[in-house]
Amino acid sequence: MLGGLDYIVVIAYLAGIMLLGLYFKRYVHSSQDYFLAGKSLPFWAIGMSIVVSDIGAQDFVGVSGQAYRFGISVGNFDWIGSVPAMLLGAFIFIPYFWKAGLYTIPEYLGRRYNDYVRTLAAVTWIVFFAFNLGIIFWASAKLLNTLMGWPYWQSIIITAVVVGFYTFCGGLTAVVLTDVIQMVIMFVGGAVIVILGLYRVGGWDGLVDKITAQGASFQDYFKLIQPTDTKTPFPWTGILFGLTFVMANAYMIGNQAIVQRCLAAKSEWDAKASMIWGAFLKMFIPVLVLFPGLIAIVLHPGLEDGDSAFPLLVRELLPAGWGIVGLMFAALLAGLMSSIDSMLNSTATLWTKDIYEKYIRKDASDRHYLVVGRIATIVLLIFGVMTSPVSQYFEGIYVAIQTFLSFFQGPVFSILMLGIFWRRATQWGGLFGLVGGITVSFLLYVFKGYLFTIEDPFLYVSWWSFLAGLVIATVVSLFTQPHPEERLYGLVYRLAERRQNVA
Amino acid sequence: MLKAIRYVLNFEWLAGLSIGAAKNVFLILFVLIGILVLLVPNDYIYQGAKKRKWWFNLKLWALGDLAFIFITYYIF
Repeated sequence: MLGGLDYIVVIAYLAGIMLLGLYFKRYVHSSQDYFLAGKSLPFWAIGMSIVVSDIGAQDFVGVSGQAYRFGISVGNFDWIGSVPAMLLGAFIFIPYFWKAGLYTIPEYLGRRYNDYVRTLAAVTWIVFFAFNLGIIFWASAKLLNTLMGWPYWQSIIITAVVVGFYTFCGGLTAVVLTDVIQMVIMFVGGAVIVILGLYRVGGWDGLVDKITAQGASFQDYFKLIQPTDTKTPFPWTGILFGLTFVMANAYMIGNQAIVQRCLAAKSEWDAKASMIWGAFLKMFIPVLVLFPGLIAIVLHPGLEDGDSAFPLLVRELLPAGWGIVGLMFAALLAGLMSSIDSMLNSTATLWTKDIYEKYIRKDASDRHYLVVGRIATIVLLIFGVMTSPVSQYFEGIYVAIQTFLSFFQGPVFSILMLGIFWRRATQWGGLFGLVGGITVSFLLYVFKGYLFTIEDPFLYVSWWSFLAGLVIATVVSLFTQPHPEERLYGLVYRLAERRQNVA
Repeated sequence: MLKAIRYVLNFEWLAGLSIGAAKNVFLILFVLIGILVLLVPNDYIYQGAKKRKWWFNLKLWALGDLAFIFITYYIF
């Protein structure tokens, strides 16, 4: 489908990104440069990077597929599923993480609770990111296969080589600053298809009229709030309790890939501002990823696989040979690469700081840890490529990612919240809360057919596992010895300030 | 027993709430968050800022975000 100018656009994009990575290599002299960009990043770059890392090529496919099946209620994930959580992060959690000089979230958990909690959280995230890499690779390969007819492995290898190169060379600086460019390309490319699609279906009014005219089952397609007995995976109770109160917070505050950028901010103010600026940009994402699914309902009704809606639209709407398909293709690659580079860098950081430096080699030189981080990046990339075929066994790509997340997110957020707001939370409370919460998550998921009335209850699972983690951690904390107050300064919300005020 | 567990886990105890009322719950949540944002001390907001100018006041940024999302949920 690519032709003429399209090839030039795509090649220029790939070459530009790799050159940028090579350029930033000169600024990487220490492990802090590699993992935290030397704590030099401005808020606007971090905010843009957070948004583009959270959204990828798989969202163009997966979210538009969900919108095709269920309507705009999937937009909840980028609206209420992001904004309140990012504000909570900006004003409460991020300033404390930044001031503590952390590299990773498990590092906070280790300082606040103990090394068991730190290790369990680190291993959990490493496993999640490693397998998520495979899911993203496969989703994108599916997209490129449908669009261009490229063999799956060809797409995966090309992406892996480009991302691996610039992430290996430039570390977090290269990741964040290439993300800025990738976000602009993604927004422009995404907007082109939405504008052309809306023009084809008669604008917004035409879109609404034509979808709602398709029958009774389409009447709720333009409602964000769905009833509790909805057939979609997004009942309002799940959106409120599971998404807003748990998963959104866990994702924006407890996710290493997101928080690591804020830890690299050049000031505390930049760290806070990056989240609020990111929240603003995030609100435009549903327009880019959700509208194509709605437009496809009008242009291609009755598709068996909703995930094929977006690729079909690209083939139908964009003229080949003029560079526009190339731009869209670059936008999809940008989305893919921005997600992968974030996971690679974050996982390398988790491995190096929380596992290698802690358990394998404690007192090595900083140069040594820099090398370990770079090697980890490459090893993870290879692992992601090799495990990518596993994801094809899941029905919806987006739901697959959320299912993975719902296992761990609730319990991790429960102990993060208790840790920062309740100084009485003890090390054993944190450990039992985390383990107990994950166990409850697992059991709920295994017996979901008996326990839940909706098809995919990942939102409910995350809420109940969060609650279980919270209750277990609280009860165990009340029966165990807390840390001395001095150890908790800078780790518990306004603890030191409260002490000063009393004195 | 299983029926009672399902009743709780699936939030069937909230099934009686109309969609309109549920929508109001979301809108009230945004207003509450806005109030909490306004209560954050200014000194804390400006920590690390280059200058103490009004455009560095992150409360205003946050309220802008909340206004945007409030309107979205009000319409849809």
